[in-house]
Amino acid sequence: MKNPIWDNIVNKKKTELSDTTRILATVPIFSDLDMKELIEVEKIVHRRKYKKGEPIFRMGDPGLGMYIIVEGTVEIVEEVENNECKHITDLDKGAFFGDLALLDEAPRSASAIAKLDCDIIGFFRPDLMDLLYRKPHLGIKILWALAKVIGERLRRTNEQLSNLQCELKVTHHE
Amino acid sequence: MNNAAVAPAGQINKTIWRIFFILIGMAFLFLIFPYIKMVLLMLIIAWLISMILNPLVDYMESIGLNRAVAILMVMLIILGLVIAIVAGIVPAVISAMESLKTKLNTDLIKSLTIQLEQFFEKNFNNAALARDLITKLQQLGGEMILRIGFFLKNAGSYIAFVGIVPFVSFFMIKDKRLFKRMLISQVPNRYFELFLNVLHKVGNQVTRYIQGQAMDALIVGLLSVLGLFIINLVFDNPIPFFFFIGMLAGIANMIPYLGPIVGAVPAILLTILSNSSDLGTVLIWIVVVFVLVQVIDNNLISPLVVSKSVNMHPITVVIAVVIGGNIGGVFGMLFAVPAWGIIKVTMKEVSWGLRSYKLK
Repeated sequence: MKNPIWDNIVNKKKTELSDTTRILATVPIFSDLDMKELIEVEKIVHRRKYKKGEPIFRMGDPGLGMYIIVEGTVEIVEEVENNECKHITDLDKGAFFGDLALLDEAPRSASAIAKLDCDIIGFFRPDLMDLLYRKPHLGIKILWALAKVIGERLRRTNEQLSNLQCELKVTHHE
Repeated sequence: MNNAAVAPAGQINKTIWRIFFILIGMAFLFLIFPYIKMVLLMLIIAWLISMILNPLVDYMESIGLNRAVAILMVMLIILGLVIAIVAGIVPAVISAMESLKTKLNTDLIKSLTIQLEQFFEKNFNNAALARDLITKLQQLGGEMILRIGFFLKNAGSYIAFVGIVPFVSFFMIKDKRLFKRMLISQVPNRYFELFLNVLHKVGNQVTRYIQGQAMDALIVGLLSVLGLFIINLVFDNPIPFFFFIGMLAGIANMIPYLGPIVGAVPAILLTILSNSSDLGTVLIWIVVVFVLVQVIDNNLISPLVVSKSVNMHPITVVIAVVIGGNIGGVFGMLFAVPAWGIIKVTMKEVSWGLRSYKLK
C-alpha cells in the first residue's frame, strides 16, 4: 500500500524530464546543467500564463529576475512620455529576457508586454541566492553561465559601438 | 463602445462579489475560531521552530546531505535534548511545588505572620490587617501552586500536541519552497513580482529577527545558568533548579523591559523559600547576576545577534506587551513583540512595494 508520508520523504526519482525541465535545458544559462541539476532548478522556477496585452513587468519596476518564453510572443517596449510606448523588439518561443535582474535590483530598463497569450517560466534572484547557499556547486554553475552570457552581450555591444564610431568618423570626414 | 461600458460594470460586480466572499470567509473563521485555536497555535509554534532550524538544515544540505535526512538529524538531536530536559526537570518541579505548598502552611508563614503583625502593630497599631494580608497571600499562593501542579501533572495530555508540532515542523522545513510556490501561484499576474519581492524581503527580515531572538534567549539563558551555578558553588546550593530558572530567564528576556524582572523573580522566591543561612548575601548576588547578564546582553549580545530592522519605540513595546497579555496571558506577552515586529516589517515592505511598482 502507498504511504503518502513516506513517499514525500523518500522523493522517488523521476524517470522522465518534465516539459519545464526540457525547456530550461535549452536556455544558455542552464545549458551546462545535468538532468539532476535541472530538476533542482525546476523546483524553484515559476510557470505563469499571461493574456494578450498583459504586462509581465513595467519599465522602472525593481528588477527581480528573468523570464523564458515557453509559448507566445513578448513585446519589449520603452515607455516614453505621455504614456506612449516605443517598440524595441519582439521575442518568441525559447527566448529569454530580464536576465540582468538576476544580479541586482536596478530598475527595469524597458517594459515586457505579452503580444499574444503567453506561457512563461520565471526564474528569480531570491531563489538563485537561496540555491547558491543550499547548493553552492549548482549555484556557481548558473552564475558562471550567466557571466558568460553577459560577457558575450558586452562583447557584441562593444563591436557595435566600435562600428558606429567608425561610421561616424567616415561621415564626419565626408 | 458597449464593451467599454460593460467592462467597468463587470469589474465592479467582481469586486463586490470578492468583498462579499472575503466577509463571509472572515465570519466563518470567527465562528470556527474556538475549534481551530489549538491548531493555529500548533501551526505558529511549528512555523517558529522551522524558522529557527532552517539555517542549520540549509547548511547541512550545502555540504551534500539529503534535505530530509538533514531535517531528521537536526530534529532528533533537538528532541533528545528536550526529552532529557523535561524528564529531568518536570518531576523535580512537581515535588518542589508540593514541598513548597506544605512550607507555605507551616514554619515560614508562621514566622512571617509574627514579624508582619509586630511591624503593623508598631507602625499602624493594627495587627489584624497583617493577619488578613497573610491569609489572602496564603490563599493566592496555594491556588497558584495548585494550578502549576495541575498543569504539570496533566502533561500527558499535551504529549499529542508536542508530538504533532515536530511532525508539522519537519514538513514545513522540507517543503518550504513548495508551499511558497503554491501560495505565489495564486497571486494575479499584476501583483506577481510585487508579491514575490515583498514576500522574500519580509521572510528574510522576519527569519533574521526570530533567529536573533532565539539566539539571544539561548545566550542570556546560559549566562544566567552560569551565574546562578557560581552562586550555588560559593554558597552551598541555595538556589534550587538553577538550570531551569536560568533558561526561563532567557525565554522571559524576549519580553523587553519586563522580561528581566520576570526572569529574576522565580530565582529570588525559590531562594527565600529554601531558607538559606546567607539569605541576604545570596539575594544580593542573584540581583547582581541578573543585572550583569542584562548589561552584557544590552551592550554585547543583543546588538550583535538581534536584527535592527524591527527597532521599536519603548512605548510601542509596552503597548504591544499589554495587548498581548490581555489576549493570551504570559504566552501573549511573549509573542506580542515578535508579532508586532512581523506586522511592522510587513507594513514597511508592502508600502515600499506599492511605491516602487507600477500597478496601473
